[in-house]
Amino acid sequence: MSVDIFLSLLTAAFALMVVFSKKTVVAAFALLMTLLTIAIIYFQVGTVFLSAVQVLVNAGAIAILFVFVMMLINLEQFPNNREKNKMKLIITSFTVLVIMGVLALVINNNIEMLSVENLTDNSMKALFDKLFTAYYLPFELATMLLLAAIVACIVITSHEKHEKHEKEELLETEKNR
Amino acid sequence: MLIEIVEILLKIVIILALPLGALPIIIHVERRGAAFMQKRLGPNRVGPFGLLQPLADVAKFMFKEEVHPTHVRDFFYTAAPLVALVVALLPLACIPIAAPIDAFGKTIYPEVFRSDMGIFFAFAASALGSYGILLAGWASNNKYSMLGALRACAQMVSYELSLSTSVVAMIFLYGTNDIHLIIKAQTGYWFGFLPMWGFFLQPVAALLFLVGIFAESNRLPFDLAEGESEIVAGYHLEYSSMKFALFFMAEYIHMIALSALFIIFFFGGYSLLPGMEIIANKSPILLVALQAISFITKIALMIWFFVWVRWTLPRFRYDQLMNLGWEKLLPLGIANLIVTVLFVYFRNP
Amino acid sequence: MEIASFAVFFVIACTLGAFLLGISSLLGQKRKIVRENDVYESGVNPVGSAIRQYDIKFYVTAILFLLFDVEIVFLLPWALAYGESSDKAFMISGFVFFMVILLVGYIFVINSKALKWEE
Repeated sequence: MSVDIFLSLLTAAFALMVVFSKKTVVAAFALLMTLLTIAIIYFQVGTVFLSAVQVLVNAGAIAILFVFVMMLINLEQFPNNREKNKMKLIITSFTVLVIMGVLALVINNNIEMLSVENLTDNSMKALFDKLFTAYYLPFELATMLLLAAIVACIVITSHEKHEKHEKEELLETEKNR
Repeated sequence: MLIEIVEILLKIVIILALPLGALPIIIHVERRGAAFMQKRLGPNRVGPFGLLQPLADVAKFMFKEEVHPTHVRDFFYTAAPLVALVVALLPLACIPIAAPIDAFGKTIYPEVFRSDMGIFFAFAASALGSYGILLAGWASNNKYSMLGALRACAQMVSYELSLSTSVVAMIFLYGTNDIHLIIKAQTGYWFGFLPMWGFFLQPVAALLFLVGIFAESNRLPFDLAEGESEIVAGYHLEYSSMKFALFFMAEYIHMIALSALFIIFFFGGYSLLPGMEIIANKSPILLVALQAISFITKIALMIWFFVWVRWTLPRFRYDQLMNLGWEKLLPLGIANLIVTVLFVYFRNP
Repeated sequence: MEIASFAVFFVIACTLGAFLLGISSLLGQKRKIVRENDVYESGVNPVGSAIRQYDIKFYVTAILFLLFDVEIVFLLPWALAYGESSDKAFMISGFVFFMVILLVGYIFVINSKALKWEE
């Protein structure tokens, strides 16, 4: 039990570091540590497969993206925009309200929490039995979602149109000369 | 309780001491091998056959001046080599060097971190390998370092995809993800002489995995991250003395860990080498020793293969590297997976 | 239990690395040469900062890796569940659908030349 509390506190500490650290790269690495400690919690609870996937995808791929962005673009070149403080306040208060609401719901309705005893009974097999019978369609539809993401990524990052315009403009200016 | 603590500590010491102790030998073999292939002598002055050269190098690394440039980001600059080394050591925790033993009234597993998902954890830990490199490149605050880190990272993630497809194909064939069961499926012989290794089942997957290892551990012909002719030394350009040595160690340990995974999937892991079965049945302790020896021999042969390739193939150009990964190996991996699955289905629907 | 042994392993690995770093900074020679601490740019005076905007392709590669990696991770439980499932035809039809979508995405990526590096 004390291990669980220690892990939760560690996760919360790293998560707070993500929010409050002034340096973006520190925040990115704190995020990585948060994801890893969550993976350890998953393992501790008995959902071993989820834990492995958490390390493989969230820590091994998504957090790399964050670090990549911070390194690729020079964030230090953008001055801190103080005027956004109003927006910050609204967002913060909204988030706090939502969290309070969820907590109130959980406490009032006694929503059944995941208990370790229910999960340790070969959780992987139980997961697969559900995933490949009742939830096979959502499983397949997840690929569609990923396809949409791939298309979006390519479309957003491609400069084809801009380049064409620039080339045409160049040609026109040359003709005018 | 005391037995358990001793057990854990013993396992950790063995799994850490083996690769770390083998490092000087590997580095020596690499140098002598390079010399052998280029018709040189290689290091042969310190000790007999130059065998003490690695020790001299360690001493040198300790006493060298530690240049700490003024333009670096101090904390991350110091942390990066540590991160690289620790992350490289992590997959070792999931790798067993022998079969489980029944002793003291229970089953003792030889791996430090026992889980039926061990193989996934090992892969996940090796996927974290790019953080040390990225951190080093960014913290060094140098254009060469930065480019080296970005290149290394993009390359590692690209080749991880084709590597993963081959892993899916192998797990599909074995129908299990437990390392011990995967190795058990590979013990025995076809036609009485051919070992039942995964390599003979899935040569294409083996090739993809092998190329993936070379790219993940940044070895030639995939050492674009260091490309001396373009970016001097890549991500460890600003590092000196022991900090540089830690990156060096991390690279070799990453190589050893990935080779071990390759052998588990395609060459029967710790299953006995052909011919060893006759003497292995005499006592359980002998069996464990022979299993460990088989595994270590296989890894040693893999390391020699790394050295061999290093002096055989020239370095790729960066666009060639990315094209190979995305346009040749990834479709090959997907095609291999589809063919495997459909073959299994139609043979036994 | 596994967590405990892994934690011990992690701590020992960290200590080992920190020990190596510490020993060299203790024993290492110490000098103060200003030029030595400069940015290394092959002997030329450094121009500008190292943190500048790099090619977007690195980022595109990372994003596409993430998406394809998730697809392959989806296949892992499928590969494990196939052997134990009773309705093989149902499992295979799902696999074929999955792979067709994956291939559509892959062909789109290759056709868009987002990953072509030579220019």
